[in-house]
Order: sequence, then structure tokens, then C-alpha cells
Amino acid sequence: MIIGVVLGSAPGYSETFFSSKIQGLQQSGHQVLLFSGDNSNDFKLCPVILFPKQYQSRFKQAVILIWVYLSLLPFFKSVFKFVKMERHDGISWIRISKSLYSYAPIFKNKLDWLHFGFGTLALGGENLAASKQAKMAVSFRGFDIGVYPIKHPHCYRRLWDKVFKIHVISDDIAQLTYQHGFKDQAPIVKITPAIDTKYFSESNKTLIDTPIQMVTIARLHWKKGLNYTLEALSILKKAGFSFQYRIIGTGSEIETLKFTCYQLGLEKEVLFLGKLAHLEVKQQLEQSQIYIQYSVQEGFCNAVLEAQAMGLLCVVSDAEGLQENVLHNQTGWVVPKRQPQLLADKIIEVIELTEAKKKHIIERAILRVKKEFNIQKQQQEFLHFYEE
Amino acid sequence: MKKRQSIAIYSGVSQSTTFIERLIKGLVKANTNVYVFGSHIEKPTHHKNITYITYGQKWHKLVVLIKYSILLFIFKLKEKKRLDAIIEASGKGSYLLRLKYYPVLYHRPDIFHIQWAKSLEDWIWVEGFGMKVVLSLRGAHINYSPIIDKQLATLYKLHFPKISAFHAVSKAIAKEATKYGADADKIKVIKSGLNFDDFSFELKLYNSETPLEIISVGRDHWKKNYKLALDALFELKQLEKAFHYTIIGVKNNEALLHQRSQLRLEENVSFIDSLAFSEVQEAIKKADVMLLPSVEEGIANVVLEAMALGTLVVSTTCGGMAEVVFPNETGFLVPNRNVVTMYKTLIEVSELSIEDYQRITTQAKAFVENYHNENQMVTEMQSFYKTLKPQIL
Repeated sequence: MIIGVVLGSAPGYSETFFSSKIQGLQQSGHQVLLFSGDNSNDFKLCPVILFPKQYQSRFKQAVILIWVYLSLLPFFKSVFKFVKMERHDGISWIRISKSLYSYAPIFKNKLDWLHFGFGTLALGGENLAASKQAKMAVSFRGFDIGVYPIKHPHCYRRLWDKVFKIHVISDDIAQLTYQHGFKDQAPIVKITPAIDTKYFSESNKTLIDTPIQMVTIARLHWKKGLNYTLEALSILKKAGFSFQYRIIGTGSEIETLKFTCYQLGLEKEVLFLGKLAHLEVKQQLEQSQIYIQYSVQEGFCNAVLEAQAMGLLCVVSDAEGLQENVLHNQTGWVVPKRQPQLLADKIIEVIELTEAKKKHIIERAILRVKKEFNIQKQQQEFLHFYEE
Repeated sequence: MKKRQSIAIYSGVSQSTTFIERLIKGLVKANTNVYVFGSHIEKPTHHKNITYITYGQKWHKLVVLIKYSILLFIFKLKEKKRLDAIIEASGKGSYLLRLKYYPVLYHRPDIFHIQWAKSLEDWIWVEGFGMKVVLSLRGAHINYSPIIDKQLATLYKLHFPKISAFHAVSKAIAKEATKYGADADKIKVIKSGLNFDDFSFELKLYNSETPLEIISVGRDHWKKNYKLALDALFELKQLEKAFHYTIIGVKNNEALLHQRSQLRLEENVSFIDSLAFSEVQEAIKKADVMLLPSVEEGIANVVLEAMALGTLVVSTTCGGMAEVVFPNETGFLVPNRNVVTMYKTLIEVSELSIEDYQRITTQAKAFVENYHNENQMVTEMQSFYKTLKPQIL
């Protein structure tokens, strides 16, 4: 089978999710082609085919446009079919001509499957797979179904009727597709993310030291709910707890978060570490006792899996996939989102647990991650996804 | 005849925010010579006492630069050479600096009033050329930027002690500026003023039985903290209080759209893009409550406007808001970042009798008329400028 995977950009070193999936398919004798907007990460696991760029210079854009259109002539049959289907869907000629330019590399390659890595990437490309007599798969991972359709209602209306199979990373994400107009037109398959459980494994550490070491790995983005986390930590501080909280990641919310720390008197307790290398992230996890992921929207969150695998006590919100990622009171704790007081109460409860109880939770979490979220299992599930 | 004082109001552009434009208009009407330097947008004030020296597109910039280079060469060669040396020493792009600096040096106003503290470093040189620098202490530039940007805080600490005088929009911001070395004795608090001809007060026939109409007006910025308002309104909805909340100035904020959807507030909350001044006024008048959930403000103009129009204010205690909103007298105050107090206060407001509502809004109107009127602001500004004697070089 030849499987074309569409991504915004080729995966980086730390994005093991895509790499392991591609490796698994290749090991089973399938060919994978990656279509993406850029390959600045120098991804080499499979051929990376870049989409044509947009140019500022009108002249340059016109010349390249003509060249790209001419290069589609040998693939006239599928191009013609695509145009016909788009016109049938009421798409304007301008949008069709833009799609032909953008998706030109896809027309030029023989495919059995065309898999869009995120729902938003499939917008405008709903008829691509059918025009090439390939099957269309779409993954929904969080933002693409949890946030984007709120701003763009009915954006997936066309997609639901064209997709052959849908991949989701959690049951909650599956549920969200129904909220946005999906009516079981295609099968939905849940395949959760997976991590390298050998790399992320428990290290020898003392549980709950003073000051308590807490950590979050997250882009500084509103959906990560870091403002609520800081509010909770200020309650913790007022209650007399001594702690250090490290946030690993960068993003547009840095200004508001730093100001929040200042106003809440958390400047000494909260450290913004920025983006760290893979190894440094692991070292930070090794030094910490509690992992917090209090997002307001979250597909699943690999970082929480990694933290569990490394023996951290995980406190997460109930946003989408997080409540599947962590089983409340069994492998960690799930707190209703946007409720800093409840989060603070839960962190205090966790701190004050007996060592035996903490150990019990950690052991269960490690066991579950190893069993349920390992790469081999995920690879098998993807094989079935395409082969069934 | 005694020479009239000349003041440069510098915000970097020819058309600035409402309150700066109000100051300019007030000064020129009160017979002060005003210069406006900077990039050309519009020339909103037309008066014999105002001189705009602005630059637009590339070619226009070149014309302005050549003109002032020649004028300085002919009339102020010595000063030009001194300024050129400063420009060279700064290590910044000399073309742009010459374009910005030459007109100021040529016209040499008595006072160079900088509106935004972040641009201070570029203008500290004017003190050495017989001009007095006045720096306005406003909002973000004092209240949070130097907290987040430590380099900026260092620059403030370096330059604030060199400044002739500061104008603060609230007592709170004046206090904040002293953290960066501003001499408290050199700070004059002059609060923003409204032109009451633009605001017609209406005594509302408030009815606590009808759904509470709440409004916020402001740009789409994190410091407005609308997410706090949505969290508070979610609690209000749980208590089955009938209300509708409108935010003007926010249309496509992904985080707020998501929050509204997640909290199931679609029917209770509307986001409206920016509106014209008169439309905003109408919307404020129709509302029962002006809600200010901000985490940082100087003194929010929109609150003053709501008070002038007769709409009751519920505000956080951020910045200088407690200097305007006195609990149960001119409005209601809630502690910064406090969801619980905010929704409880909104409940309290929703249950006010018409007498209490009107008492508070009448007192609020009297307060802004007494302490936030444009004439008073301009008079105080002029007196403040007059205390600054021009330097004799």
C-alpha cells in the first residue's frame, strides 16, 4: 500500500507520534509519502514532498503557477475529476485553481490512502482522495475539532460526507465530531498517542521533597490553562506550602503569564524555562514530583504520558482526552477545568497523601502507560486502520 | 510681548488615542502652541495653534529630512553637529533618527511631552538642547511592561532620574513609577478629563426584575481579562440569574469563543467588533452595568464614560480604578482576579432598587464632572507646564 500523509510541517525529533507510526507502516512493507509545507526539521524517515510555496512577488508567483499547472498535464484524468467534483460541491473557480496549485504534488503521486494529519488540513482537499481513487482518512487531535469549528461553524460539513475513515486520539474527541455535524458517515477509530516507554522510565527519586517540585510541559498557549494553574498555585502559597513550579515551553502567552506571576506574588516560585531539548525535558521530569496539566482544551497530551511513565504524580484537568490519559484516583487525579480552587485543593490532597498511597498510584500509572500507550501497540493499531 | 509656551505632544504618530487627542484639542483652544511630531496618519485637530510636522511614505520622509537638514545647517549648525554626534554614538539607524530628531531640534519646543514611556530612551537627548522632558505615566508602559521586560526596567531606572517632570494619570501609577527611580516630588497627578458636551447623562429606570444587561468595552488584549468575566457569568448562570453580556471590541478571539462555547454561554454572551463612538455610547446607555474585569489599567476611560452616561460600574481594583469607583457610592469594586466576588457583586447589583441604582449613578456622574472634566484637565496641564521653566543654554 502507498499511504500519503499530509502534515503542516514534517515532524521534529520529539514528535515520536508520527515517526513511530511511519516506521511501523514501513516495517510492515507499506510505502509512506509525507506531503508537507516545510521540512525544516530535515525529516528523513520517508520521502518528504513539499507543497508549492506562496510568493510575494506577483510575477514570480504567476510564472510558478503556470509551471505547476503545466506539470499537472500528465495527470489530467484525476485533475479533471477533482475539478468536476469541486464544481458539483459549488466551489468557485478561484478556489479550485488555488487548490490545484497547492495540492499539485498529491495529484502527481499514486496513492492508496490519503491521510490528513489534522482535520483542518483536509479543508479544501475533501475531493482529493476520491479524484485519485484513493481512500481518505482524517485525524482529529484536539484543536482541529475542539476549537477551530467554534470559530468556523460547519467547516467540516463537506468532509463528513467524503471521508472514508476517521482517526481520533480519544473518546472525547470522537464525541466532539458529533457536536460538529458528523453523523456516522464513516467509521471512527480511536488510536491513542504512544510514547517510548523505554526512554521515559521511572528513575530513582524521593517523593515530595521540600520545596515541592512541580512541572508542566506546554506551549504557552491559552488552551493550556496556565493562568488557572497559577491561580491555584497562589492559593497553595497562601496556604503555606513551599514549592517550585517549572513551565517548559514557549509561546504567545508569556507576557500575561509573567504578569500574572507578578500580581499573584509567584515570581520566585514559578520558573519559565522556555523550550528545552529532549534530554533536558527528561532531566526536568526526573527532578520533579508532581506534573500538572490543567488545560482547558487538550487532545490527549503526550507529556502527561511521559510524566506518568517517569513516576510523577499527575494532576490534570478533565479537558477532552486528559481524563482518558489519567484515570481519576487510579493513575493520577482529574480536576474539573477552570476551577483553580479545586485544583489547589487537589494538589494539597496529593501532597498530603501517605507515601504508600503515592507509590501505589505511581505504580499503577507506570504499568498502564507501559501496557496501553506503547509504540508497538500504536503501530499495530495503525496497520489495522489501513488494512481493515 | 511675552512669548507663549510651546509644547510638543509626542506619541510617535499624528493621530493618537482619544485621551491624548482630547489633551491636544484642549491645549490649543486654551491658546497654547502645540507641536505634533511623528508618522502621518491623520491631522485630527485643525487650529492655528497646532503645527504638525509629520512624515508619510518613503519619498515624503526624504523630503522632510532634506528640508530640516538644510534648515539646521543654515540656522543651527552647532546644535546639528552635537545632535549628529549623539545619533552616531547611539549605534542605531541614523537615517530614521535624523528624520525623527531634526524637526524637533529645529522647532525646539519649550516642553517635549512624551506620552509613552517606552520611547523615552530615544528622546532623553532633548534635555541637553534646552527642552524640558515631561513623561506621561500611562497604563501598560509602567504597570506591566517593565515587569515582564527586565531590560526595559533597567532603562527606566537609568533615565527616570534625569526627567524634569512626570504626569501621572492616577495616584496608583505614580506610585508604581517610583519603583523605577521617578522622583515622587516631580510627579503631578492629573486625571483624564471628558468633554461633557459629548455625554448626555440619563437617569435610568432600572428594573431588577428584567435580565441584567452587562457590557464591557475595550480592545482585544489580555489585560482586559474577559475570561474572568466569562467565568463569573458562568457562575451567575448556574444560579439561574437572567442576564446578557456584550463585549464591544472583541470579535474573533479564539480563546473567548472557545470559553463561551465550553461554558455554554452562547445565548448569554455576544461579541461585537469595534463600533463608532456614538454607537458605543448608545450601547453603554442601554446597559445596566459596565463591567471592567481588567487586571491592569491606569484609569479606564470607558468607566469614566459609563459614569458620565448614567450606567452603573462594576470594576476590578486594578491600577487606579479605586480612585474613581467607591463601593456603593459611585459603583462597585471587586478584588483583582476574583471570580467569586465578581459574580456575587453582579448578583448584588441585579437586586438593587431603582432608588439605589439612581443614587449611585447620580453620585458617579457628579464625581466625574467634578474630577474628570476636560477643562479642568487642560487647566491643570497648563499650570503644570508653566512650573517648568525653559532652560537657558
